[in-house]
Amino acid sequence: MRLSAFPRACVGALTLAVMVLTAIHEADAQRVRGGGAATATRSTATRTTASANRGAYGGSYSGTASASRTTVHRNAQVNQNVNVTRNVNVDVDNRCCGNGEALAVAGAVAVTAAAVGTVAHSIPPSCTAVVSGGVTYQQCGSTWYQPQYAGTSVTYVVTSPP
Amino acid sequence: MLHFPKRALLLAAACLPVACLAADQAPAQAAVDPAAMAALNRMGTYLRTLTAFEVEARTATENVMDDGFKLQFDGVASLKVRRPDRLHVDISDARKQRQIFYDGKSVTVYGPRVKYYATVPAPPTLRETIQVLAQKYGIETPLADLFYWGTDESGAADIKVARHIGPATIDGKQADQYAFRQDGVDWQLWIQQGGQPLPLKMAITSTAQPAQPTYSVGLRWNLSPRLQETAFAFKPPPGAMKIVMQTSDGKPVSIK
Repeated sequence: MRLSAFPRACVGALTLAVMVLTAIHEADAQRVRGGGAATATRSTATRTTASANRGAYGGSYSGTASASRTTVHRNAQVNQNVNVTRNVNVDVDNRCCGNGEALAVAGAVAVTAAAVGTVAHSIPPSCTAVVSGGVTYQQCGSTWYQPQYAGTSVTYVVTSPP
Repeated sequence: MLHFPKRALLLAAACLPVACLAADQAPAQAAVDPAAMAALNRMGTYLRTLTAFEVEARTATENVMDDGFKLQFDGVASLKVRRPDRLHVDISDARKQRQIFYDGKSVTVYGPRVKYYATVPAPPTLRETIQVLAQKYGIETPLADLFYWGTDESGAADIKVARHIGPATIDGKQADQYAFRQDGVDWQLWIQQGGQPLPLKMAITSTAQPAQPTYSVGLRWNLSPRLQETAFAFKPPPGAMKIVMQTSDGKPVSIK
């Protein structure tokens, strides 16, 4: 059965909207708060498609985790605000595996034109490393990221051009 | 009318559950077995005598996922140590590789795969440095406990329960198993028998978390390592990129 032009356009627009929303949501899910514990990222929305359900590491399961303590000495214990809760499939060396899913997800971060100060776990594959003031920035189109170690995790903070 | 049942409930609650169990079962043992504490102290004293060593740790870390799954992740951590102020750490699992260099003045964290490194100032001793890494930068040094046992901050005062469990064989070596309890963690230690009381295995259960995940680690020791100064001083490999390190309160730090 033929759809008239108007409903067909609506279906097309709706499909596009769903795709964009999924991408934005996943981009949000990949972000962490600077300096604070990552918030819970799992929700029904991340389970709507197979690709949205994947972590950057490529497993089919993505969620936040709290790890067991690794020391019995209080002074050697990591500050509870940092690094205790993390998404096991996001906190990974993204460059290692040429993981297409991770890069697609990361691309959504740039597309949504993240505000300065936003923290992401990954950046698009097309970025250029630029050294300024002795430290490295990543230029991804018009968006600039400052990579940093937060604990032993690499995160990317959206910055103004250095 | 409700008075009597209420009082009975209160009595029952007062008798729950430790006291009642203790009354029914074997005679109460001292919470802290002096022999277990002595073994821990002896190990700590022995560790202090080691001026240089290498230790390879095989780790299994449990993560409790937000839907309740308890997942186990295996990794390897290798430490090269020269007291009082040199450390090289290699941490590796399927997800991440990191190296930590400490040369007595600064600490560098490097990711061989991501090619990023960050260098920050460090205190003059290993133990202080491990403390700064944990509290200021949120970096867990594997086997951090090795640098506390046998010092003034041995943690002995935190121990509420200490038990000698019995003999065990770890990695083909004769050991004694001990169990300790303190706020937030129940932990077990397997100490090598004989004249070199080294920790051969450790298991830490986080009792403060409802799902009680456990971190366990097996240790292989080399007490006569050949350690070059180059192991402790970071030289950026070709292509390595310098970045900043974020402190726990969100400030970026970098030196050099």
